[in-house]
Amino acid sequence: MAEEVKPTKVIDARGSFCPGPLMELIKGYKQAKVGDVISLYSSDNGTKVDAPAWIKKSGNELIGVYDRDGYVEIVLKKVR
Amino acid sequence: MYSQKRALILGDGAAGTILANKLRFLTNKNELEIVVIGNSKKHYFKPDGVQIPFGLLDYRKSVKNSEFLFNAGVKYIQDEVVRIDVDQRFVTVKSGKSYSYDYLAIATGDRLTPEDVPGYEGEAKHFYNLQAALSLKEDLAKFNGGDIVIGQASPEIQCPPAPYEFTFLLDHYFRKRGIRNKINIHYTYPLNRVFTMPQVAVFVDKLFQERGIITHTMFNVETVDPKNKVVNSLEGESVKYDMLILVPPHRGQKVITDSGLAGESGYIDVDRHKLNYGKYDDVFVIGDATNLPVSKAGAAAHFQSGYLSHHIASEVGGAVYEDDYNGECACYTITGVNEAISLWFSYEKNAKANFKSKLDYIFKWTSADTYFSGMVRGIM
Repeated sequence: MAEEVKPTKVIDARGSFCPGPLMELIKGYKQAKVGDVISLYSSDNGTKVDAPAWIKKSGNELIGVYDRDGYVEIVLKKVR
Repeated sequence: MYSQKRALILGDGAAGTILANKLRFLTNKNELEIVVIGNSKKHYFKPDGVQIPFGLLDYRKSVKNSEFLFNAGVKYIQDEVVRIDVDQRFVTVKSGKSYSYDYLAIATGDRLTPEDVPGYEGEAKHFYNLQAALSLKEDLAKFNGGDIVIGQASPEIQCPPAPYEFTFLLDHYFRKRGIRNKINIHYTYPLNRVFTMPQVAVFVDKLFQERGIITHTMFNVETVDPKNKVVNSLEGESVKYDMLILVPPHRGQKVITDSGLAGESGYIDVDRHKLNYGKYDDVFVIGDATNLPVSKAGAAAHFQSGYLSHHIASEVGGAVYEDDYNGECACYTITGVNEAISLWFSYEKNAKANFKSKLDYIFKWTSADTYFSGMVRGIM
């Protein structure tokens, strides 16, 4: 799926503990436009749970969560 | 016979000043001219901002004249940078002069942009500069009951622990005044826990619960409604307040965006290990001006300045500095009066908090002295 949707913006937060991958995602989200597809790379396992939870609560669209080589990729579409 | 090169450092805050002074220790004056351009006049030790509103320290020890903080052999020019051209390798200042360089270090920091949150200006209070911290001290003295909401108005701020530090001191302050039972303290945080680092969040949350702090997580401030005294999140939650204390949003400096070095956010993308900008091996960025995935804090700037000073000094001396910057940062954060925790982390190492101690509080309480007498001078 991620191969089919080309991200408008990639946030590489691998190796980030402070401020942290989800904080990087929210920062990138606030700078993005409605309709943008944002891809987050994180090497922190907790992001697999944290990011989809935030995407759901914020009313945006989770396109997918993908295990990559040594990191996880989370793709969302900004809808509001 | 030496061929003198020039290191041009933009910014006279923590990152720029420490870099200049460390570099002076590491290089011969005949080899390297060190020029700093900045216009702050006063150098404020920002970490003291969480304590000043509670009168826990004398704010006068948190401020020094910028011009007195540079070691002999560092040329300090008080002016405002208005253009940075990394292709033609020069920098222009407001007075009209231009400066060329062999090495450029951008340490211009960032700025508070309260205008980014509708309703913020004139309504929310904060402690992120000296004037605001002193003003908040007066406001708190007049507050006798109701709901106080404390949080951050944007996901990224200088010193991520500052909001929880302030919250702990707020709790202590009202207990000391004997009116804690008349006040609800609400803490908001952008993530689904009370701090970005999971293990530290568990530790802080436990203390919050013990002290009756009400938490609102996954709360990213979108608007402030002064008429109804409500702060709204982009996740759809609203919290009512009688006093609103929000760390303002931040952006990088305007000159960075105007010079095409970054987008609207004003933060510059740099190599996370070498700290150079894009393809330019003579342009480096440190401190709050960067888009690095590390804490925006003087403590991080201190480590980055240490790395970069050795990198430039090695090149000046004809050697190659093979070490990398690894995102290291260490700091003391307050959990109450006479108690604090120390955090030490890097790109690959997450911070842990296992106990609070009075010693860590003393280190925090005296850190302006440590900073001005040793750290900013490049000695530590």
